[in-house]
Amino acid sequence: MINYKRFSLENGLRVLVHEDKSTPLIAMNILYDVGSRDENPAMTGLAHLFEHLMFGGSLNIPDYDTPLQLVGGENNAFTNNDITNYYLTIPSENIETGFWLESDRMLELDFSQKNLDTQRNVVIEEFNQRYLNQPYGDAILKLRPLAYKVHPYRWPTIGMDMAHIKNTDLEQVKSFFFSHYAPNNAILALTGNIGYDLAFQLSRKWFGPIEKRTIQSRNLHAEPEQTEERILTIERDVPSTALYKVWHIGPRNGKDFYTLDLITDLLAGGESGRLYTKLVRGKKLFSEINAYLTADIDPGLIIVQGKLMKGVDIQQADESVNEVINGLQSENEIKDEMEKVKNKFESSTVFSNTSILNKAANLSFFELLGEPGLINNEVDAYRNVSHGMVIEALERYFNPTNCSTINYISTRKKK
Amino acid sequence: MMNNLQRIRPPVFPVEKVVIPEAKSFRLNNGVPVYLIEAGTEDIMRLEFIFKAGQVKEYLPLLASTCNMMLSEGSQNYSSEELNRSLDYYGVFLNQTAEKDSAGIVLFFLNKHIEKVLELSREILFRPVFPEAELNSLMKKRLHWHMVNREKVQNLAIDQFFESLFGKNHPYGYQIREQDFENITPSLLSDFHTKYYTPENMAVIISGKIHNKTAELLNSYIGNIGSNENNNEASVNFINGEKLKKVHINKSGTVQNAIRIGSATINKKHPDYPGLKILDSILGGYFGSRLMKNIREEKGYTYSISSSISSLDIAGYKVISTEVGQKNYQKAIDEIYSEIMLLQNVPVKKEEMAVVRNYMSGEMVRMFDGPFALAESFRSAWEFGLDNSYYYRLAEKIKTIDPDEIIELARTYYNIDDLYEITVGSE
Repeated sequence: MINYKRFSLENGLRVLVHEDKSTPLIAMNILYDVGSRDENPAMTGLAHLFEHLMFGGSLNIPDYDTPLQLVGGENNAFTNNDITNYYLTIPSENIETGFWLESDRMLELDFSQKNLDTQRNVVIEEFNQRYLNQPYGDAILKLRPLAYKVHPYRWPTIGMDMAHIKNTDLEQVKSFFFSHYAPNNAILALTGNIGYDLAFQLSRKWFGPIEKRTIQSRNLHAEPEQTEERILTIERDVPSTALYKVWHIGPRNGKDFYTLDLITDLLAGGESGRLYTKLVRGKKLFSEINAYLTADIDPGLIIVQGKLMKGVDIQQADESVNEVINGLQSENEIKDEMEKVKNKFESSTVFSNTSILNKAANLSFFELLGEPGLINNEVDAYRNVSHGMVIEALERYFNPTNCSTINYISTRKKK
Repeated sequence: MMNNLQRIRPPVFPVEKVVIPEAKSFRLNNGVPVYLIEAGTEDIMRLEFIFKAGQVKEYLPLLASTCNMMLSEGSQNYSSEELNRSLDYYGVFLNQTAEKDSAGIVLFFLNKHIEKVLELSREILFRPVFPEAELNSLMKKRLHWHMVNREKVQNLAIDQFFESLFGKNHPYGYQIREQDFENITPSLLSDFHTKYYTPENMAVIISGKIHNKTAELLNSYIGNIGSNENNNEASVNFINGEKLKKVHINKSGTVQNAIRIGSATINKKHPDYPGLKILDSILGGYFGSRLMKNIREEKGYTYSISSSISSLDIAGYKVISTEVGQKNYQKAIDEIYSEIMLLQNVPVKKEEMAVVRNYMSGEMVRMFDGPFALAESFRSAWEFGLDNSYYYRLAEKIKTIDPDEIIELARTYYNIDDLYEITVGSE
């Protein structure tokens, strides 16, 4: 059981505190309710670029990292479709420095042209490193616009076109800050060696004086229902052919989220998952295969991706994936396997919650979903999934008309 | 409203002196040493079995890693599927690792399953049967993974780096070729296993909220395992680096070139090692390091650049790693050398020393926070015959090292003529 307390400041900042005296450290997580889905389609990648800019100094502090390092702290951040998340760990005696730093950059950034110029280059190098200079690196860039036609999930967090990054100017950066970075658009979680009273007092002292801001309202167009199968074939000079299949699913707080999560675990949770057992070990069609949920807040995707063994026909590989998924409808062996993935989920939750950083990130995200209690209830939600619910979800989502496929064909000549 | 708060910087408190819990140790009936580290709040344990069965022991490429990976592919009493299903059913996380010097397994589990975990561990470690069908399928998969990995400039670079440093013929150094995947047979694996996965070659490291029957259960499952042979064949204990210091591997169509610069050096057993660790941090060991500040934060040439220093049994090595676009990659290399030369010639200023001292003190707190970190830190000293006094020496050095000593270390250990420079990408 993870005990936590919550409070809100007058400016709308929500704060969650979980005390864990067994560590000398404190984790501080600040989630801003802004992600790449909030970007203008003509200027994608801004939310992530912005994450980089957040380390370039703020109104009263010319450099974020050095003062934190000076008190023994360490930090990082990530951006995804939905959120921008900043986190640090710090020896507890120096927690106030964390408050000083984080509140100052919420107050106002030092919008410097030099910093913008440098970080634009860094982000372009990041794009090259992650997506262009890796075999199969561009598959995910092609997958999103295949599956989404309307919703902003159609572009990747790093941006759909590096020209957008190159063209970003300081005015756009400023306006992005003031319409998304604000106490009333953020959630602060503190976990570790900190009591509620101190957390409350320091939150009020440092974040309290920051004024509420007007947040750009979110009017996202829902993705229309997909009505026919989509297939994209790409040819690349890679060692082996790969297959990517995605199906649209419901939102993160939809009623069947944990059912879908359990389905991906039945398929690919560990070495004993069905896809691995049947298609890698058994039929030897794939050298590796995986299945997972995007877990996006708006309706997301189930992704199955695998690399084919040499000489395997992609059509046959594709059919075998569908066969394994359909096999989940049958009662055979499913009871034991459901118990297995439930045990594994429980155990991985216990392990994840041994880290104060994970606890802080989870508390913030669950608060954003409006259900902070999930930190303690997720295992039950997952345990409550029945085979009937699995069958229902399979029927609802795993239809060919709801599916997009990339056949990523290797053009390499055999030796 | 804003004016009510003077945004005055809070005071900097020195990071609390790191306190490291001592491991308790005892021996199983068959002499295997066991180390217990009590920590954490949850009823979970981390159980590591470690053997001197790493690459350095192999007489054929891939032998050590394949032997380790095949441990869970079928045993006297379980098929590979049964083993994996059983581990998953009990919510156990199993990591199999084969490194340059050592190999073994680590299991993470809820305490209530300790008995099952020990039973399965015994199967995995001491009763594997190396079935031919599973071996063939594993080698095919590994060949695929290998081919994908060899597409990545960073992998080509690090493989060449180790070859240059340790030599084409040393297990630390040789590169894997596609035909190596055809040479491994069940009997070779079985032979390697019999020789090196033995009580004489192993230790057990346990951390977490330790189950009160741990010692008793370990003895009943592992304590009666005997050894067939006694093997103390010495490994090749000297290294012979390649003569050529600069190697460029041409790979067309890349948008970034990979750079690895470094050399073999002292390992943890050497008294200068703590100082070198600090020097390495200043150079490229953390986000505020000089390489990061200069090459990423100032010039924007790369998404990331770092340096690190690592210890192996018979040597250590240090390496600077980055990937840089074609346009800037020569400039990045020049900057790397000029940062090294700066450290050899100009004393580090007091302010920067304070940042690195405090950052590293914070790192030391993180290294001993919680049962998993504690076990890893314990292991990485223990493997070199060191105990916690190594960490206390490091902590002391972090507080007391002075700029002259940094210069001295940079001159002794970063002689530019000794450094290998490996680059991969389009010319």
